[in-house]
This record gives sequence, structure tokens and C-alpha cells, in this order.
Amino acid sequence: MSHSAHRCGTVSNLQNDYTMYARTSRHVNREGCGPKLRKILEIFLSEEPVNFGSSHSGKSFAAGLDPEEYSRSLDNAYAVACCFSKASSIRNVLRKLKEADTGISIVVSGLIEEIKSMAGEVGLTPHTALLSLGVHGRKELLPDESVLEITTMCGHGLVATHLVEEVAQKVRMGKVTPEEGAVSLAQPCPCGIFNLDRCRVLLAEQLGKISKEGGEQG
Amino acid sequence: MRIDPEKCTSCARCPDYCPVTCIHEGDGTFVIDEDQCVECGVCLRDAGCPTDAIYMPEESCRYPRTIRAAFSDPGVQYPEELFPDLKQGGRGTEEMKTNDVTGNFPRGEFGMTLEFGRPGVGTRLREVEKVTTLLTSMGVHFEDSNALYFLLEDPERGTLKPELADEKVLSIIVEFALPEDRLESVVTALAQVLTTVDTVVSWGLVTRFEEDGSLPVKSRLEKLGLTVRPNAKVNMGMGRPLIED
Repeated sequence: MSHSAHRCGTVSNLQNDYTMYARTSRHVNREGCGPKLRKILEIFLSEEPVNFGSSHSGKSFAAGLDPEEYSRSLDNAYAVACCFSKASSIRNVLRKLKEADTGISIVVSGLIEEIKSMAGEVGLTPHTALLSLGVHGRKELLPDESVLEITTMCGHGLVATHLVEEVAQKVRMGKVTPEEGAVSLAQPCPCGIFNLDRCRVLLAEQLGKISKEGGEQG
Repeated sequence: MRIDPEKCTSCARCPDYCPVTCIHEGDGTFVIDEDQCVECGVCLRDAGCPTDAIYMPEESCRYPRTIRAAFSDPGVQYPEELFPDLKQGGRGTEEMKTNDVTGNFPRGEFGMTLEFGRPGVGTRLREVEKVTTLLTSMGVHFEDSNALYFLLEDPERGTLKPELADEKVLSIIVEFALPEDRLESVVTALAQVLTTVDTVVSWGLVTRFEEDGSLPVKSRLEKLGLTVRPNAKVNMGMGRPLIED
């Protein structure tokens, strides 16, 4: 799941973007982990997640994954992923997970300083980090940063640049709302870490910038 | 993937869904450039073809092409015959996600991840070999539970199985551990070779937090000219039994 490590964005627009991942280890605590993963999912779902899912279930909550059906499938899983847009949700989830003491490894992706601060409030000591050192090589092949901020919310790269451009165009033309645009862009990402709230805000911001530019020109 | 010309109505719905932009208008119908296609399956699952014209042909499931879906579609498990004893999905490994219970990356060591083709560009496997051969020449050993390891003809030399060189995948991760004192030499060499690859590479580094919560490696990386993003993945230390060192 290094697929949540390289989300593009600014400190400002990453403030509402956190993913949590509960992951068992093949050699340590995977056997019989189903009930623990179910407990963790229950905790995730109690704090207003914006999306969840897994590649093994084949679809995310945003694409219609039923929470109960997903919970039942966890006997054959080794991980649970969930996405939040509020720091308060992460804080509450960490507090509940600490009380539940499942012994399953928990990974939070987001702003490092924010995560450290939340850990301190809950009495946790962050253990290990995977830092993102950016993109190298032929960067001229990449789309604009405003597109990357959306496409990189699916770390497997399944949300296409042209789809983002097409949906953004429809939002600009008033054919769909930013909310509807975010839902359609979330469909290709089965893992459930595509943050619909952040996508909606990013699409609305693009719309706002264009309106402002139009107004200034006029 | 392939589009059945008898069924395609040229509604033009599918091209926007392709992450590697390989669906184009052909002679009266839309066609998939099968050389560029990474078999991620997004067009098949999500484009909503009104006539079910998109399908996966039998050739896509034959070696070596079957590698494409395994590394591009997260819903596809690695074929047992090609990846014996791998027993995991996903393109990477547990890496830092379970480091609190495995201790795979102790203090004094870093982990490194180089994800070729990410974000959203894709890569030919021959591009990966440029880095794997460099790293082995520097004495680096690759993580043997990463699926890439099974694609190497000679892990000691970093050479790929030759029949795989032209295969294209959405992304593939090179993973290895590194003693702290080798950071500067390896980063400098990697930064140079990454200017020669015909794709993009998302670069990551795994490190333990110091007891005061600091990450001293950040300043070392910045001195080497690398920018560390403000966001990261953080293992919260909640796994049990906890590995401490």
C-alpha cells in the first residue's frame, strides 16, 4: 500500500485528506485475523469515513460496496483501508483503536506533522515513516499538478488524466456538480482510498478560479 | 484488452477511462493499441460500454503478456506458476506497514522504494533493469518477497528475464534495504540513472522515527537535492508484539 504515500497536493489542500490502513503481517498476526479486522472496520465506520474498500472486494464504498457484505468477507482478507476528510475522525479512530488493542499494525497517511500531533494527543509513539521523495525521470509526461492532485488519490493509477479533464470540463459547464464529478472519478479506484470530499473541494476550487478569472477579465 | 469491431458503436465513452491513453478512433470503430495496453481492466469495468464490446482476449492471459495484468490490475492475483510461494497480492510488500511487528527496517537501516511508471504513465520492464543492474553493481540485494524479484533472471546481477523487457505495466516497485551510511552514495547514483529512464519514478524512503519524533534523514536528503513531501505514510506503532530496538 505504498499507494497512499505519493499523493500530490499542498499543505493546505492535504489538510482534509487522511487514509488509514490496518495491515496484518504474514509471519506474525495474519492467522485468524478476521474478527480483529471486523472490529477495526467497525471503528473506522463509526467516525464518518468518506470511502473504504479493498482491491480484493473489487469495488469501493463509493462504487457501491456494502459495509456488511465487506465485513463478512474479512475472514479471507489481510487488511482494511479507509479514507477520512476530518482530522477529528482520525483522532477518534486512533483513540478507539488504542482501547481495542487489536495488535494489528495501523498506518496513517497524511501530513506528517499533523499525524505526529494527533499521535501525541492520543498517547501513541509513531514507529516508522515512508517518506515521499517526489517524482523523477520524464516528468514532462505528467499532467498539470491540478490533475495530479486528483489522479494520485488512486495510488494504483487507475483514475485516468483524460477522465479528470473530462469531468472537470463538465463541472465547468454546469453539466454535473462537483459532488457528482467526485463520485464518478472515484469509480475506477477499488481500494477505497480515493477521497471524494477532497476531490469535490478540488473540483469546486477549479471552478472558483475560473469564475474569478472570468470576472476579472470582464 | 480488445474492442470487438462488430459490437463497437463508436460512442466514444471508453477512451477517457484509459490510464495510459491507448484507446483511439480507428477505421469506423474504436481500437485499443495492444502494444501500449497494460491490461489494467479499467475500460472493461468502468467505462460502461453499452454493447459489451470490450473484452480480455485469450492472448492477454499467456506468458509473458500475463505479467501486464498482474502488475496493473489490483484485482488480479499473481499467477502461482510464475510467482511460487509469493502468497500475497499487491505490487509491493508489507515493507513499513508492519515494521512495528516485523522489524524489517531497524534503526541504522533505511528502506527504499522506487515505483516505476507511477503516477499514471506506465513503464516497459526494460526501464527497471537500468536501475536493478546499477544497484546490484553497488552491492544492493533486492527484497525477495517483492513480485519483481520473480522477474529477475539473475538477482545477483539485476538482469531481467529477456522475454519480459518489452512488456508494459502500469507500475512496478523496486524495493531494498540500505545501511544508513550508504545513503549518500546510493542516492547520488540513483538520481543520475533516473535521468535516463523513459518513464517516471515515484521515489520513497522508509525510516524509523527517533524517540523524540524527529526524522533526521530529511536534512540529509535535502542536502542531496531531494525534496521530501510534507505528507507520508506513518506506522503508528500499534502492532503487537511491538519490535523495539
